[in-house]
Amino acid sequence: MDFFLSLVIAGACVGSVYALVAVGLNLTFWTTKTLNFGQGAVMMLCAISTALLTAQGISNGVGVIAGVAIVAVVGVIVERIAVRPALKTAGSMGWVIATLGFGILLQGITSKFFGSQAIPFPEVLFTVQDVIDIGGQNISLQYVSIFVVSILIIVVLEGLTRYTVLGTAIRGTAQDMELAIVQGLPVNLIVSGSFVLSSVMAGIAGILTAQISGTVDPAFGFELVLMGFVAAVLGGMGSSAGALVGGIIVGIIGKLVGGYISTAAEHGIAFALLIMMLALRPEGFFGRAEVSKA
Amino acid sequence: MNTMRIFLTKLATHPLALLVLFIVVFFGAPHLRGATLQILSFALVSILFTQSINVLTGMAGQISLGHAAFFGIGAYGSAIIAKAFGLNLFLTIPVAAIVSSLIAYLLSYPAGRVKEVYLAMMTLGFGQIFLEVAREWTDLTGGVMGLSGVPSASLGTLIILGHKFSTVDYFRVLLLITACSMIFIRNFSQSRLGRSLFVMHYSELAAGSVGIARRQTKQLAYALSGLLAGISGGFYAHLVGYLGPESFAISRSIEVLVVAIVGGLWSSAGQVISAVFFTFLPEQLQLFAEYQFIAYGLILTFTLILFKQGIGGLLFLPPRFIRQTWLATAQQKGQAAVTGNAKNEPLFLKIQTAPSDISVQAITMRFGGLVALNSVSLDIQAGHITALVGPNGSGKSTLVNIIAGVFPPTSGQVFLQGTEVTAQSDVVMAKKGVVRTFQDPRLVPHFTVRENIMLGAHAKMHYTWLEAGLSMPRVHLQEAQALQQCSAILQLLDIEAVAEQAVESLPYGYRRMTELGRALLAQPKIILLDEPAAGLSDVEMARLAEILIKLKGLGITVLLIEHHMDFLTGLVDEVIVLDSGSIIFKGDMLGMRQDPAVIAAYLGDDEVQHA
Repeated sequence: MDFFLSLVIAGACVGSVYALVAVGLNLTFWTTKTLNFGQGAVMMLCAISTALLTAQGISNGVGVIAGVAIVAVVGVIVERIAVRPALKTAGSMGWVIATLGFGILLQGITSKFFGSQAIPFPEVLFTVQDVIDIGGQNISLQYVSIFVVSILIIVVLEGLTRYTVLGTAIRGTAQDMELAIVQGLPVNLIVSGSFVLSSVMAGIAGILTAQISGTVDPAFGFELVLMGFVAAVLGGMGSSAGALVGGIIVGIIGKLVGGYISTAAEHGIAFALLIMMLALRPEGFFGRAEVSKA
Repeated sequence: MNTMRIFLTKLATHPLALLVLFIVVFFGAPHLRGATLQILSFALVSILFTQSINVLTGMAGQISLGHAAFFGIGAYGSAIIAKAFGLNLFLTIPVAAIVSSLIAYLLSYPAGRVKEVYLAMMTLGFGQIFLEVAREWTDLTGGVMGLSGVPSASLGTLIILGHKFSTVDYFRVLLLITACSMIFIRNFSQSRLGRSLFVMHYSELAAGSVGIARRQTKQLAYALSGLLAGISGGFYAHLVGYLGPESFAISRSIEVLVVAIVGGLWSSAGQVISAVFFTFLPEQLQLFAEYQFIAYGLILTFTLILFKQGIGGLLFLPPRFIRQTWLATAQQKGQAAVTGNAKNEPLFLKIQTAPSDISVQAITMRFGGLVALNSVSLDIQAGHITALVGPNGSGKSTLVNIIAGVFPPTSGQVFLQGTEVTAQSDVVMAKKGVVRTFQDPRLVPHFTVRENIMLGAHAKMHYTWLEAGLSMPRVHLQEAQALQQCSAILQLLDIEAVAEQAVESLPYGYRRMTELGRALLAQPKIILLDEPAAGLSDVEMARLAEILIKLKGLGITVLLIEHHMDFLTGLVDEVIVLDSGSIIFKGDMLGMRQDPAVIAAYLGDDEVQHA
């Protein structure tokens, strides 16, 4: 039972990061119906930048902020060069390939100039030794902190989109971009903004995960973003609550399968869930099937 | 530039030139250095693998980010069977390729339900599942340590029927298989099935409207693509002699996409050049090997945006999807057949039995809370031209969609010649002879007018994909007949002059005519036209009216949605006016113009003055 509980708690913590990634993906899905397939490289870039900067003696806090700032800029670039022109000219396949390519480019540049070795990641929040007692279980404070940070960000973001003018503008753009343009909303800015926010959330997810794994390398982030996809699809693309529930479910199922069956199957099961979900209910648990009038 | 393209295209499609190339490579192989032969073998594997992307992504427009999995299934499958049973590759590769094909076929079920983002994710996930299985199923695949001792020509362990296969022998077999596969794909792409893959890419709705079954078409694309990927993977396995799971990771899926995209999606010739280029470059140029990932990243980011046609588009004319030799003979025969017929009518369209009527009973359609049609009943008289008019949002298109089987009504029934056909799919309805056009023409943009119209003949031809690829006599027979009919339709619509032009380069009026032509080639009993005159010039409109009257003369029942009152006057037998989902008028044009309810609801004072 203790083993079970510890798996569930660890799963929920990891899952909350998946949820954070998924919410980041949702943001751009709202505004443009696109995702950054190179989001994994964004996470990697944020974590590696932080690690490299702190290794230079810069404080953890500044390192994190600098890392996040770098990927925020990357978000703007991705939208400008990979998404916007592709949507105009190349149809649906264009942006998938272009964003994927941009991710590979980032990864290639990073491994070329910083080597493909794993870089130690600083302990930003707590250390491995810090534990807290939950229900008789010693849980690492690092795990708890990623859970708390992830949930906090998701809740704040949800609050912003629901209760502020900016949020209304984003939702308006999501509903009908043309109408939003006609109404004088700064749609380009909103779209850009959604990519920036999405990158920032991916970056934070990268930092949170890196501090558990302890190291980062250029290939880091690929699996994580896949798990983010699974979480987003499971919950229903575009739904924040769905992303949260989806992420935590994927995290817990993964850990349970890992604990009781084989750690090797931990990710495989998630992808199997993804394919099953897409086959049976593509709109996800929380999504609604689109009512379309042909 | 264009002369060069014409020349190169002639060269690349000339059977003799290709035969010479084949013979030179085949017999020149022993004179090559071992290393060069090895790289050339890899290039052939890459060409084969790229053809699998050509079918799935290039033709059917289904993106795959996990294609390395099918490559891997072919490789591991063949290697494992060869090791376990001591069978030779002429057995193991086909078996492994069929397994790969079957798995691709199965994946087409979930994949068929999703599009774009979801499909990309699903295939990415599928690739990862395969990788995890290859890594972890140690008993079968050797796990991360890999699978060594695969019979291989370069290791001198490939023995077939007592003969030790040299690297030259292996290369020659591979060359032969690659050449055959490419001929197969060429034949396939110039068949009804190849064309049907393209229409799925651009409009599944258009596919259904001429009786192209969506699911089967996708299944075919996946299965064929899986087969090709499996074959290429099998040859890879016996080329390298050792398989490690990392050879089948995402980077291989990306590599094949890079090769296909740089070569130009759907341009086989461009892809061959691209495959050879990308196989040789890292070997010859150390610098490239070092910056490979950066280069791939740059290529993927910018090629589809800036350079969509790839090498194929740069060096060659766009490939055609009709066999040109068959077209030439069909045109000669067609000329003779049509000139024998004084009125210039495509007689194959003539309805031999009595014209068909269609009626709807108490049809209600709700979209969420919106009631688009509220208990509508009407009869569309056999052999008449009936117009459906009404303001925007009155439910006209919805009614046509329900009759055409695009979606089932919330309640109510549809009868075709007295037989209930409620909620039958559009594919079934098209086969029953109910064919429609769309408000905005849904065509394959890079197809010529003729190729687009030929899509209409899909359900009238019956040969299979295997016959198509092998170019069996039945294919020739049916294609030739359809081409002849197509020519007659081009003549009827008066668009022969533009028959060989890509529709994307043509003005709107031609596109409308092309879509009408596609519907006609499906040999409709009842044709449903959604605003056929919208955007046409006066001359084109007069021409359209003439055509519709001819169709009526052939016994085809016509239902059209139209706003243009002058166009309808003198053309239609009956007019039905819809407003807010209910019928407010049935009768003739004159009666409609005087009907107070119609004037109030639809025409308004302004329109009356115009009319």
